[in-house]
Amino acid sequence: MSLIEHLTSYNALIVLIGTAILGLACGVVGTFTVLRERALIGDCVAHAALPGITIAFLTFHNRSFMVLFLGAIVAGLVSAWCISIICSFTRLKSDSAIAIVLSCSFGLGLTLSRMIQNTPRGASAGLDSFIFGKAASISSSDVVTISCVAAVTIIATLLLRKEFALLCFDRHFATTQGYPVKLLDILLMTLVCLCTAAGLPAVGAVMVVALLIFPAATARLWTDSLSKVLILAGGFGGISCVGGVIASAAVPTSIAPTGLPTGPLIVLCAALLFVVSFLLAPRHGAFMAQLKGRSQAHG
Amino acid sequence: MIQLYAYATSKLETSWLHTFKSLLAFLLSCSSLCLAQEPISIVTTTTILADTAKIIAGPSGRVAFLMGPGVDPHLYKASPNDLRTLTQAAIIFHHGLHLEGTIAEALKRLASRKLVVAVADSLPREKLRVVSGDGATYDPHVWFDISLWMLCADTIRETLARYDPEHAHEYSRRFDELRSSLNDLNSWTRLQIEAIPPAQRLLITAHDAFGYFGRAYGLEVLAIQGVSTESEASLRSINDLVSTIVTRKVPAIFIENTISPKTVEALIQGAEARGHSVKIGGLLLGDSLGDAGTPEETYIGTVRHNVQTITAALTDSELRRTP
Amino acid sequence: MSTPAIEVHDLCVTYGHKPVLWDVDVNIPQGTLTAIIGPNGAGKSTLLKAILGLVPITSGYTRTLGASVSAVRGEIAYVPQRESVDWDFPVSVLDVVLMGRYGKIGWFKRPSREDRSTAERCLEMVGMNHAASRQISQLSGGQQQRVFLARALAQEASLYLMDEPFAGVDATTEQAIIEMLRNLRSAGKTVITVHHDLQTAPEYFDWMVLLNFHLVAAGPTNTVFTPDNLQKTFGGKLSILDRVSEAVRTGQTREAQDSSTQVT
Repeated sequence: MSLIEHLTSYNALIVLIGTAILGLACGVVGTFTVLRERALIGDCVAHAALPGITIAFLTFHNRSFMVLFLGAIVAGLVSAWCISIICSFTRLKSDSAIAIVLSCSFGLGLTLSRMIQNTPRGASAGLDSFIFGKAASISSSDVVTISCVAAVTIIATLLLRKEFALLCFDRHFATTQGYPVKLLDILLMTLVCLCTAAGLPAVGAVMVVALLIFPAATARLWTDSLSKVLILAGGFGGISCVGGVIASAAVPTSIAPTGLPTGPLIVLCAALLFVVSFLLAPRHGAFMAQLKGRSQAHG
Repeated sequence: MIQLYAYATSKLETSWLHTFKSLLAFLLSCSSLCLAQEPISIVTTTTILADTAKIIAGPSGRVAFLMGPGVDPHLYKASPNDLRTLTQAAIIFHHGLHLEGTIAEALKRLASRKLVVAVADSLPREKLRVVSGDGATYDPHVWFDISLWMLCADTIRETLARYDPEHAHEYSRRFDELRSSLNDLNSWTRLQIEAIPPAQRLLITAHDAFGYFGRAYGLEVLAIQGVSTESEASLRSINDLVSTIVTRKVPAIFIENTISPKTVEALIQGAEARGHSVKIGGLLLGDSLGDAGTPEETYIGTVRHNVQTITAALTDSELRRTP
Repeated sequence: MSTPAIEVHDLCVTYGHKPVLWDVDVNIPQGTLTAIIGPNGAGKSTLLKAILGLVPITSGYTRTLGASVSAVRGEIAYVPQRESVDWDFPVSVLDVVLMGRYGKIGWFKRPSREDRSTAERCLEMVGMNHAASRQISQLSGGQQQRVFLARALAQEASLYLMDEPFAGVDATTEQAIIEMLRNLRSAGKTVITVHHDLQTAPEYFDWMVLLNFHLVAAGPTNTVFTPDNLQKTFGGKLSILDRVSEAVRTGQTREAQDSSTQVT
């Protein structure tokens, strides 16, 4: 089978479409996460999805994506809430609070999944795939879910673009204008949770945060306009996913006889885009900065 | 007062000593009796080993296992409870050949203090399937080749006889019984598989637990994942399998109790998109036996279940009905 | 002008367990150009934030234009400290000024043509219309301050609360800003700014609130801006601190004595 044949097969198309839509949504939502300086909370929410999934599985004895998905979202919101509780009731700064909640929830998740794994009639198979993701086995029903989530999050983000921008730029000013910043924060967190949960079957809890952060950070290097950052971040997210899938199919069998897993390649693709942009972007790139510095020194 | 006490004890000493001695004797005899009757504590990793060990040990062994039905031995991680069970065991049977990926270390450490036997490790190397290019890694799923499993059962018998020579003849007797029923099972399986039209003797299942089965009974086996469940199915391998399913008009593919059915669904949808309808042939029991209380709770029951599922799905197809 | 622009009653604010403002009681009349003056850490910004409802109030209450602050949000413009925001945020100068219109635009809607022309007019008023499309990270400190003022102007409010609008700006900008504030006053608006430059204060402002943890004095500049009050505001800080630390020390020694008596 040639590479083109590999990529135009039904399964590849499903994976391509599913991950591309996911990357698009993550890029758009991730923009505000990065601008709100909430990147690590995204990571925390993603890790909290693991206990969410296991608890949902233990409660409902159901492995359907919808049940696990809801579990992940609820757990994500609870973890975000825990962070704000820890921040407001202790003297800890948010980075410590995030570290605490992240490690706690991941620990809880691993313990619970071990419990499931070792119990008879475990049928835990498939839960593991939420830690690292199994992009290659995305099914058409997953694509439907991902598309719905993507539609909701992208539309919500674009509708609330003005409010989110105000929230991220000047929280106090937003309050004095009568905008409920707490509610806006919760809304943004919910969108992050939705994206994270939708991304779990594709790239897994450990790496989904990369899809939130890399595209936005990359886009920020290319432009100073928020609208363009949003568009570019969506684009970079989609491109990273498509690139990862293509790379996974293109790796010659001589290097990896069974092929390379798709999820990590997607993340590497996003990272590659970032590095290239970091070096070459016209205004904020390292290369251009060098060039500018030299011309200034000469002039 | 002390003097009084000494006097009293000296008076009582003879009778006391007597009762004490008889009591001690009784207790000793009792405990020796108990020791003789106490079954050997045997711990196995999987239900497959547990079933066979139970049959051979009979009433002289008490068999416990770590990994219940539906538990994946490749990914299983030992809990503190398991370690307690293992340290209390007299004999530990495991498969070896890296089947129990994560528990192997714990077993290795116990080997200095206990009788730890890797059942499949004793098989002659030339009978094993090599799975990696370096020739040093073997497929551990030996149990679905019934003749190989008989050799494994013999290792279990030998171990028990070595540990408890008094009952060696009983172990041999039970092993002979087991061997004759396994022989029956072996020929039955061969007949069943031979009933499948040769073109359709292609078993596609979630992971490579059926390599020996295919080799022994003349089925081609294709796995969606590698030998271990840890590796992720890549897009390339899924595409290749879809092509195979479509070009060879495979009527059914199989899911396993320790594997997520997701990948199998991806294959079915992929084949569907290319105009070939392939159905799920049923649930094969790969890395563990079936649930307790069902016919599949024994090794023989599990093999029968698998063989029947495979033959039913591969024989009863549209392809065969149309002339 | 019967309702005061700001009423503050027995206001106490604490951060964690640390009191920042204690028992502040002040009314600021409408139509004034008021300075809140005090040393660093006197709670000037906190007073402004408490009036705006940005920090939780421990006790007391504030009223703005005779109502609770949430009822008259549309009438209040706010200029936060320049350092409080990230000036690398990917927006243009005009985008920032347009944010002043967001309260009036409401949820989900985009700024209209009118909003844009209002924003452009406000930029012109601060002399920044040439930089409308510039990214905010390229602005100098003075320019940033002008943009923030333009944003407040775009709010078209009747009460302006400004946190250190003169901080780190050059002399020309300072003159332009005070000119603007005077224009606002003559248009009947009330302007309250946090200020720390004692030299310019009496020249710029007609009303003053002298603050140092407690309220020292409040009233028209000519009655309040006296050496005595300034001594209390700025020189007094040391003595207050001394008294507090004295109290803490005696409290601790007493406790230590108590516990030692308990032990023996």
